[in-house]
Amino acid sequence: MNDAFGAILRRHLKYLAPDADIPSAAPLRDLGLDSMQAVELVFDLEDELGVVLPDEAMTAQTFATADTLWRAVEQVAPDASARVAG
Amino acid sequence: MTTHATPLAAGPDTTTLADRVTAVLPVLRDEARTADEHARFPERSLRALRDSGLMGLLVPVEYGGLGGRLDDLVYVAGELAGSCLSTAMIWAMHCQQVAVLVDHADPRLRARLLPDLGAGTVYVASVTSEKGKGGHLLSAASPLRRAGGDLHIRRDAPIVTGGLYADGFLITMRDSESAPPSAVTLVYAARTDLSVQTSGDWNPLGMRGTHSVAMRLEGRVDDGHVVGVPGDFRTVAVSRFIPVGHIGWAACWLGAARSAMRAVLGMMRDPRGRGQFNVRSDLVRARLARIRLDLDTMAALLGQVVREVDRADDPDAVPLQLRLNGLKVLASERSFEIVDTLIQLVGLRHGYLRDAPVPLERLFRDLRSASLNYANERLLLANGALTLMDRDVTLDY
Repeated sequence: MNDAFGAILRRHLKYLAPDADIPSAAPLRDLGLDSMQAVELVFDLEDELGVVLPDEAMTAQTFATADTLWRAVEQVAPDASARVAG
Repeated sequence: MTTHATPLAAGPDTTTLADRVTAVLPVLRDEARTADEHARFPERSLRALRDSGLMGLLVPVEYGGLGGRLDDLVYVAGELAGSCLSTAMIWAMHCQQVAVLVDHADPRLRARLLPDLGAGTVYVASVTSEKGKGGHLLSAASPLRRAGGDLHIRRDAPIVTGGLYADGFLITMRDSESAPPSAVTLVYAARTDLSVQTSGDWNPLGMRGTHSVAMRLEGRVDDGHVVGVPGDFRTVAVSRFIPVGHIGWAACWLGAARSAMRAVLGMMRDPRGRGQFNVRSDLVRARLARIRLDLDTMAALLGQVVREVDRADDPDAVPLQLRLNGLKVLASERSFEIVDTLIQLVGLRHGYLRDAPVPLERLFRDLRSASLNYANERLLLANGALTLMDRDVTLDY
């Protein structure tokens, strides 16, 4: 995952310590992401990374871990890894 | 749909589900008024349900249960609710716990517990409420403590329906002292494994027979009492606890509203009483039509959700989540408004007096709680977010 993605994701993980790295395989739910916040996260990712996540990606599997979510983002923006926030 | 006039299980017992329901209804009807008047748990009705086999409706036949399915749950809940909504809700919530245990209990616990559940000797209450978590089902504060293969439970719950009378409890706990609140572990404990303190009075507006009390539960069970994967109550909740819960509640509320409509139609069609109702009025006709439409709408959504839950490949799918939450919201709102409209239709004498032959005022008070029980506002907020995730508006009808 890239820095821009990580910075957006971090804002939605209320149980993640500010100085801790985002674990790639830990359940996002345990880090504080619930289904209500998932849609806010989608809005932020779409607004700030310039991607559009399809309805098919709106599954629990997509939002399971930082890795699975990053893969969904990458699929709709193959060049997302090259993007820089702002 | 199964027909409820045929026996559920193949075998020498030819008692049908309809027979079992018919046998208990007079007891429920008889006790409903006193349970309501004194805010007392309907003990005789629970006894009748235990004896009827209906407490084991969802227990597989090989464990001595009736091997019923969700549409059987809907049928029985609706019929019971037509006689006593408190008893119906107590029964439906017990069935919700049973469904979870059947699907997710450890094999050792299943082998020990399911025969008792099938025989109706164990009534299970649900302990999910907790102070300070705002009613969120999928989080827990009180941690499980593990010592030498044992699980130590210490749990305060502000409200446990039927808690004084339950033989066992399914309890949500935080998985450990170091686990986040979202790591919830579901634990079964028999009453005999626990020291149980209850506090507070129960003197509510309606649903007075459900006798819900504050409880402190403390005790030890072995680690075979974890139901589902430790820390992952969410999977149990999404696949079984929430669907069966919402279906059971909706069936109760629909059944209560339907019974009220039946009773009012009975009065209006009775040649001796018809004169007191202006059944030729356009306003009355339009109101009756609206009530009927609401009942049909609830029944249609309930039927669709039952079919979808029965065959769900992915219980997490957004359209199914939307309809499950929506079913609870729709049934709670419509059933209350139906009874309100019926009271308006039949007037003070039949609709507002506590000793009127048709208990519309009791149903009005009972059903007022439906939108508060797992608050509709929270479900609507969740559905608002989920709706934004389904641009295609998948209706699947």
